[in-house]
Amino acid sequence: MARSVAQFGTTSTDAVIFESVSKTFRHRPALFNWIGKERTEPTLALRDVSFNVRGGAVLALLGPNGSGKTTLLKLISTMFLPDSGQVIVHGADTRRDPQQVRRSIGFAIAGERSFFPRLTARENLEFFAALEDVPRKQRRAQSEFMLARTGLLDAANTLVMKFSAGMYQRLAIARALIKQPAVLLLDEPTRSLDPVVTADLWDLLHEVSTDGTTVVIATHSFQEASAVADSVAILHAGNLLAHEAIHPLNADDVRSLYFQTSPSDGSEFAVGSWR
Amino acid sequence: MSIAAVADKTVAIFRRDLLSVLRYRWAFMFTVAGALCELAAFYYLSRAIGPGFRPEGLDYFSFLVVGTGFYTFLIMGVHSLVQSVQEAQQTGTFEVLMTTSTQPSVLVLLSAISALSRDAMQLVLYLEIGLVIFGKTLPRPGIGCALVFFLSLAIAIAMGLMVAALQVAIQKGSVVLWALGSGTWLLTGTLFPVTSLPAPLRYTAELIPITYSLDAMRKALLQGATLSVLSHEIGILAMFALVLLPLGLAMFSFSLRRARQEGTLSAY
Repeated sequence: MARSVAQFGTTSTDAVIFESVSKTFRHRPALFNWIGKERTEPTLALRDVSFNVRGGAVLALLGPNGSGKTTLLKLISTMFLPDSGQVIVHGADTRRDPQQVRRSIGFAIAGERSFFPRLTARENLEFFAALEDVPRKQRRAQSEFMLARTGLLDAANTLVMKFSAGMYQRLAIARALIKQPAVLLLDEPTRSLDPVVTADLWDLLHEVSTDGTTVVIATHSFQEASAVADSVAILHAGNLLAHEAIHPLNADDVRSLYFQTSPSDGSEFAVGSWR
Repeated sequence: MSIAAVADKTVAIFRRDLLSVLRYRWAFMFTVAGALCELAAFYYLSRAIGPGFRPEGLDYFSFLVVGTGFYTFLIMGVHSLVQSVQEAQQTGTFEVLMTTSTQPSVLVLLSAISALSRDAMQLVLYLEIGLVIFGKTLPRPGIGCALVFFLSLAIAIAMGLMVAALQVAIQKGSVVLWALGSGTWLLTGTLFPVTSLPAPLRYTAELIPITYSLDAMRKALLQGATLSVLSHEIGILAMFALVLLPLGLAMFSFSLRRARQEGTLSAY
């Protein structure tokens, strides 16, 4: 395995920068639980995480369930704000200038059904394109192109309430790409996809990154990480254990890297479940 | 954001809502059927009470139709907005909508306007059916009536933003709205004049903007009151709108930021 560990110092070409970011979720009890003095411990989602992603690069986030992958994506998207530290996306701070950040990101959330069920796939895409400031004249063509590119053109006029999980997932990717974002965030994008569509999505990711889009993808698949990413970040219990660029890499390399860096303190079950 | 951009997004939101309503056509039919039953109930109630009862000098059926119609319009507008936030939280669209290039406050404001426009059409139908079919006539609404309508609309949007803020913060905005709706229904003179209430409740009613909205709308629609006659109510409604609208926007923005900080944007 030819492996080169990159030095991840911040540069002006970085599209995403995490500087000592921590995030803890404090669970406020519901009213009656509060009266009953029910309390739950806070969940530490990310602890002092620092890394950066070069513009046009593809970063794969690996880690067991609850390791902080989705939290990290949501911090980039401004869905969450950091408790401490800074998240910078294309030069804009997510806390100080969230609207500027939102203009540059496209986000496909995992396993989502976040569409208007009584609208067709095309109507949904055109609606979100309007909110994303895609010029009116380009909306139809852009929607058509993304539907074709995600294999949904035949279902363009179908109400999305009739969609399968895989179709929802493809439509979410089409929506994330409709405004041609500078940073594309994908949370387990191939979880419900068949192998052919998965391979097609990987091709699409290569295309968009070649065009300069930065991609951050959370995945449980070593194969996916090796197929699309040029660097991997390994998270465990909110800690960033490794962030390495490896060329060339295959699924076995990624698997080896993961098991070299992951702690062996009772977390094997979680790790083993996504091997 | 330019006016053209706001207009473009407004069209997109109106189109989404119109298509959704048209495709839930049975729900629309049942709403119309429910409104017809309500009108019939009011008609027979006013007949049972008899022509001797004339609140504020108006026949009781007209008093009821304008009062309940306009009250339902305002409260339904608030309810529609809260419901759309609640549904978006449940289906997962809320997180996505709150991270688009469109400012969340603009998006929620436009969604509120869209919901209230749909309710306004229902209000017109309700009044037309209620008063015309049951043998009454409506005077041509003047500028005073229009001002009362739009100021009440602004107040309803502000209230909607406040309850939507609670929905984002405690995920139970609909419960707050239910309590609010029941209280205002009792106090604002929907079914009977405010003057029938005991003094403490009457003073409380004077603090609720809907009391002035209903009073002014009855005067405008049933007595043909002019702008000068309505100036007192219009002034009070304008003050409420000026205070409540920025307050509603600030509350919504604050609760959204708090939800992003606490990670509860999609909680429901």
